[in-house]
Amino acid sequence: MAIIAGAGIVVKLVLLLLLTFSVVSWAIILFKFFQVQRAKSESERFMDFFWKSKRFDAIAAQVDRFTNSPLTVLFNEGYGELKKVVDADNTSEGSGFSTDLGGVENVSRALRRATNSEITRLEKYLTFLATTGSTSPFIGLFGTVWGIMTAFEGIGKTGSASLAVVAPGIAEALIATAIGLVAAIPAVMAYNHFQHKIRVLINEMDSFSTEFLNIVQRNIAGK
Amino acid sequence: MSSHSVARGTGLSVSFIASAIIHLAVFLLVAWYGKLFPMDSPVQETYYVDVVNLPVASPQEGTALQSGSQTEQAAVLPPPPPAPSPMPLPLPLPKAAIPAKKPASKTSTDSVGNDSTLAERMAQLQRNQEARQEEAVLDRLRAKVKSAGIGRVGMPNAHGSQAGSDYTAYLQSRLKDAFRETISFSSKNPEMIVRLFIDSDGKLMRRVTERSSGDKAFELSVQRAIDIASEKFPAPPDKRTFESIFVFKPQGISQTRSK
Repeated sequence: MAIIAGAGIVVKLVLLLLLTFSVVSWAIILFKFFQVQRAKSESERFMDFFWKSKRFDAIAAQVDRFTNSPLTVLFNEGYGELKKVVDADNTSEGSGFSTDLGGVENVSRALRRATNSEITRLEKYLTFLATTGSTSPFIGLFGTVWGIMTAFEGIGKTGSASLAVVAPGIAEALIATAIGLVAAIPAVMAYNHFQHKIRVLINEMDSFSTEFLNIVQRNIAGK
Repeated sequence: MSSHSVARGTGLSVSFIASAIIHLAVFLLVAWYGKLFPMDSPVQETYYVDVVNLPVASPQEGTALQSGSQTEQAAVLPPPPPAPSPMPLPLPLPKAAIPAKKPASKTSTDSVGNDSTLAERMAQLQRNQEARQEEAVLDRLRAKVKSAGIGRVGMPNAHGSQAGSDYTAYLQSRLKDAFRETISFSSKNPEMIVRLFIDSDGKLMRRVTERSSGDKAFELSVQRAIDIASEKFPAPPDKRTFESIFVFKPQGISQTRSK
């Protein structure tokens, strides 16, 4: 603690900035951890429920149980678009599902849009983790360089280069690099981890979109 | 805004609070660890054993060694080396000793008697010369021992009849070791004279700067050296308060006088 108290004002500011980066990045790490965990577990439960159900309207009635799953968003968007297509067909022709591919295309676009929106939501704040991971060591290095400059200035004033004079200044300066690394390392690790998890969820969303479209097309073609 | 997005925003705030708590906990943990295991603990404690001026707990009656008696001289002065075998010196012989030229008809008995007399005189001269040289060497050594012994041997407040250590020299040794680590100066010939007051337990009570050349860096290094050295001061041998003046220079530390 004394080593931080003895540091110069610039080094202290650098340490404060790095501390802020660390607090924010850990907040994002915690938030993303629970978000991705919930999304994964509720997606698995939703897929079980989806394949067990016979009707879309039955699924739509129960979809509030899986609010954290991105697949429910996709289902809601696809089902909503499907209902609109059906309602439009009913209004125009007064008879069941349309057999042309225009309705399926609409549903496909709706699913694609929902997928993009969910990817954006899942990747939100990850940029900050990447920024923290890449810039914190440099910010810490800046603090170290500044601290060593100050230490050498002091050495020049005292006229002595003994270890007792040189070492405290360098130790005070190096704390900035240490804190920079402490902030950066978890951020980089978490960024890579969440990127992998989110890629898995994106694959699940793509698979679900394909399955949903297949079901819709089979039903429309079967009419 | 849907209830879903509100829940997500709340989650982020909770995460921020949790993160701040984690950082605070880590900070406290580090502070506690620092107190529990101080950073300077791995540094090995330096033990000073000054076999020459080793302090003693209680002064004892002085031995003849400190009193400057003949025993001291005998102990200090090594025995003279054995005299080398007498070598004939090329000294001019007295006229009387020079045998007069005798006619060649002199007997061989007279010649042998003159030779033995000459050898005896030569040996006598050799002994006298050696005795004078030895006396001169002894005189020089006596003078040296006498001058070196003044004010150096004995404990503080001792009067020459007490044996013990030179506590001031011991402190000086400690200060010198500490000063070697802390020395720094910015002027050409810095100097600082400090009077130290040490209580009966060896604790530094007070320090008074008697004189300083005005070099701030040097003054700081001296103060630091005193701080470091005073952590390890032993109690004065006679359990009395002790006071001494030390002169700090870049070349080293000297003492002026002690009470």
